[in-house]
Amino acid sequence: MCQDFSRLPEIIARHRQSSESLIMILQDIQQEYHYLPPEALTLTAETLAVPLSKVASIATFYNSFSLKPRGKNIVKVCLGTACHIRGARLIQDQLEHKLGISAGETTSDSEYTLEAVACVGACAMAPVVIVNEKYHGSLNVNKAAKLLKRK
Amino acid sequence: MCIKNSRQLKQVQRDFLTRDKQFTRKALICCGTGCLANGAQAIVDEFRIVMKKKRITGFSFEAVRSTGCHGFCEQGPLVIIEPEGIFYTKVKTSQVTDIIDTTIRKGVVIERLLFTNPVDGQKITHYPEVDFFTHQQRIVLRNLGKIAPHDIKEYIGNGGYAALDKALRRMQPQEVIDEISRSGLRGRGGGGFSTGRKWQTCADVESEMRYVVCNGDEGDPGAFMDRSIMEGDPHAVLEGMIIAAYAVGANQGYIYVREEYPLAVIHVQKAIEDCREIGLLGKNIFGTEFSFDIRIARGAGAFVCGESSALMKSVAGEVGEPRAKYIRSVVKGLYDQPTVLNNVETYANVPIIIDKGANWYCKIGTPKSAGTKVFSLVGKVRNTGLIEVPMGITLRRIIFDVGGGIIDDRPFKAVQTGGPSGGCLPDSMLDLPVDFDTLTANGSMMGSGGMIVMDDLTCMVDVARYFLEFLVKESCGKCVPCREGLYQLHGLVQKVCAGQGSEQDLDRMEQLSEVIVRGSLCGLGQSGPNPLLSTLKYFREEYLEHILHRRCPAGVCRDLIIYTINEKCTGCGACVKPCADVAITGEKKKLHVIDQDKCTQCGACMAVCNFDAVEVH
Amino acid sequence: MVTLTINGKQIKAPAGEMLLETIRRQDIEIPALCHHAAVEPFGACRLCTVEITRQSWDGWKNYVTSCLFPVEEGLIVQTHSSEVTRIRCTILDLLLASSPNSRVIQDLASEYGILASSYVVDAAGDDCILCGLCTRVCSELGMNAIATVERGRLKKVDTPFSEPSASCIGCTICAQVCPTGHIRFEERGLKRKIWYKEFKLIACSECGRSLKLTPEMKQYFSERQQLPEDYLEQCADCKQKQTVDRFNRIIDRSEEVI
Repeated sequence: MCQDFSRLPEIIARHRQSSESLIMILQDIQQEYHYLPPEALTLTAETLAVPLSKVASIATFYNSFSLKPRGKNIVKVCLGTACHIRGARLIQDQLEHKLGISAGETTSDSEYTLEAVACVGACAMAPVVIVNEKYHGSLNVNKAAKLLKRK
Repeated sequence: MCIKNSRQLKQVQRDFLTRDKQFTRKALICCGTGCLANGAQAIVDEFRIVMKKKRITGFSFEAVRSTGCHGFCEQGPLVIIEPEGIFYTKVKTSQVTDIIDTTIRKGVVIERLLFTNPVDGQKITHYPEVDFFTHQQRIVLRNLGKIAPHDIKEYIGNGGYAALDKALRRMQPQEVIDEISRSGLRGRGGGGFSTGRKWQTCADVESEMRYVVCNGDEGDPGAFMDRSIMEGDPHAVLEGMIIAAYAVGANQGYIYVREEYPLAVIHVQKAIEDCREIGLLGKNIFGTEFSFDIRIARGAGAFVCGESSALMKSVAGEVGEPRAKYIRSVVKGLYDQPTVLNNVETYANVPIIIDKGANWYCKIGTPKSAGTKVFSLVGKVRNTGLIEVPMGITLRRIIFDVGGGIIDDRPFKAVQTGGPSGGCLPDSMLDLPVDFDTLTANGSMMGSGGMIVMDDLTCMVDVARYFLEFLVKESCGKCVPCREGLYQLHGLVQKVCAGQGSEQDLDRMEQLSEVIVRGSLCGLGQSGPNPLLSTLKYFREEYLEHILHRRCPAGVCRDLIIYTINEKCTGCGACVKPCADVAITGEKKKLHVIDQDKCTQCGACMAVCNFDAVEVH
Repeated sequence: MVTLTINGKQIKAPAGEMLLETIRRQDIEIPALCHHAAVEPFGACRLCTVEITRQSWDGWKNYVTSCLFPVEEGLIVQTHSSEVTRIRCTILDLLLASSPNSRVIQDLASEYGILASSYVVDAAGDDCILCGLCTRVCSELGMNAIATVERGRLKKVDTPFSEPSASCIGCTICAQVCPTGHIRFEERGLKRKIWYKEFKLIACSECGRSLKLTPEMKQYFSERQQLPEDYLEQCADCKQKQTVDRFNRIIDRSEEVI
């Protein structure tokens, strides 16, 4: 797959070309490409004059970064404490069952990526699932299954 | 526009109030994350659409305010009509026209939109009368749900930045520190360290450069206080930070926000830009000699970054690995310079202390824990949401008065505070006063304010397992006791959950925990065994039940339970579809059965059954 | 100078020195696997943990890693109290479970009386104990070819994307500081392979034997230490031989003169 990295200098410039902003630069790159392509990491390291090994360290240390391409739809199951005791595991089981993948994986047709995340801070509406940045609260097994547009 | 003196600040306030007086009524629509999830934005949009068609004296779209979180997320979307304080819950877009025509135009209350008190079934008209609010004391959350967080004029109109004006013009930096010290304010991030003393230490270090950092990482699963404050009243946090910077002599600040909180990032960013525009951030703040600016640093999902040295590394764009610190970060912190690090709620307390004085503040709460505390009250409690109560209030009053008791009137079992570093307290502790020292003395801790209520259907062994699993995933992996010790500890608890534990395992857990607490490099490991130790202390019988009788009394641990279907089954078939194991069979309208060989005890059938026909043993 | 007490004995030590140095100077042996004089103390293995107290602490004790704790006036240190030994034993027990095949860990554990781990042993566990010495020396030298990736128990030392790193010069210093011998490299004739990358080795311009030096290393040295171009071209034996030859020639010539 050939990707267009022409927007990369602009993303890096947005953050004053500063290595202090490395984490935020990577977030913006992920926003653009839905994951962190290795080429983009190499280019970032060169532009900021930061060792590539350091960029790779950061890209794998923090939860929110993915080095693998992700699906068109990102489904996040909140596993915070409030969600846990209100049955988040059941919701996760159900979504895994429906998508045929485990949390952290992407469906073979690249439609869905399922992610299990620590608290998203919407505890009052537990259990919560976020589909493409939209919060869905007070879920049960059936409601969760309906969030996915597939059978 | 640039505010250069007190007179100009007052003018902005007066202009806002004059403008505000034109409106006979205002509609406050909660746009916190909870209400947004329930469709609050659509309500705001609907107001806009309807108002385009209508002309009402004393009301325009400008009087429709998207506010921060009211705290009562469960009942969202919430609409409050001021000045009466009429409280509408679970509002739908189709009801907006009615609200405008009936309540805003005529002041008539729409009965069916009112909140029903779950205790006596009575309708409640005004929101201060709702139990959830009557028992609270809102100081930090005073503006949440009242003002539009993205409009600096509203903040100033409600008395905002007056404290900064006072500090900068009428107080020496040392006087500010003294005032905060005398107020008795303690860090709301967990440890409860005296804020005044921290500032004093930072100010006393000789250095050219100092930093003020705000910890908005809020990694505790089950907590969203800081999120709501950053989203709903970002200027209060900024004002607190600017006052802190003036007091200690810092010129650069950072506010570290979790990336899971996109709305908080947007609102804080807007607030920073607005401050720069009117001269409250940047060079010569308020026309004085003092200069200070704030930048946002976004986190990227790592619980360990709540630890001060890891957070500072992350702010600097590095891997958030804690460093061993025999030199405290207040002396040698960000970029090795003296750094004041406080959390969101702590900074949000600062303006009102400066404004009303330490004497006023220290009368709230208890002598050793002054002020209020914001909690996210969640779990198996009727009214879940964001609350603020004076320190020293009992757990019982929080859970049963503010929270309205346990869902479905089930028995209370435990309350968890302090997140993965805290512990679970049983019902015998319900009358304990909530303050820093009492909670710590009883094996839990205040933490940042997550309060998770558990009923008899919550397994305490499973709760310990849950927190250890979380910590194993979140451990940075640098030091051996935390990386390997928590992993082995999790394995031991897992064994109990699977019914394969022994009594000796319980002793081994306690011994290993002690070494992890003593030997780990940072707070994550040092406090990591707390949830396990507190459940072992207060709920040992439940562990023994798993070990000796291979029984999970709460019906949670999958290896120790089976599901069966009783004669209440109507044969509706609702349980067949969610069963991932294809273990349920039966003809339509006839009793269904679970094939125990196929069943993996996920419990989906029980969760969907409307007839109480699925039983757990 | 400050005065402190270690295992009951009064000792003077220069202010600012880390406890571990002071302790080791007393010929007291305490293990430390992540410590190396070439790099800053790190505090990862926790094996050098000691017990500290003060007269004024009223019996209260604290446990600190001696590699990172500077000596203080009046400090009372115990290096082998029963609690310290318990912490050290537990750490060794845990390491033996995660790196069961490491000889170094086995030997150290058996010194403390642990012959087999009492925890669940990870049979597939490698010898890396994540002491971070390799990555720290690599960074100290300015190469930054390797670093840790992932976190927690998934953490490991690697090059970016597990590919040959452009900044690796094949110096093998990482392998030399590795306390457990986990980092290995292959060397055959004039070839060396480390971290997925193959290096040529420079041959002695005289005898043709391997100088154990990669061209990248040579460049590194000549850039940073301003060595003469031909300084790193011959092996030590040949250099010695040349020197002897040179002397011989001088002697020869002087005989001629006489």
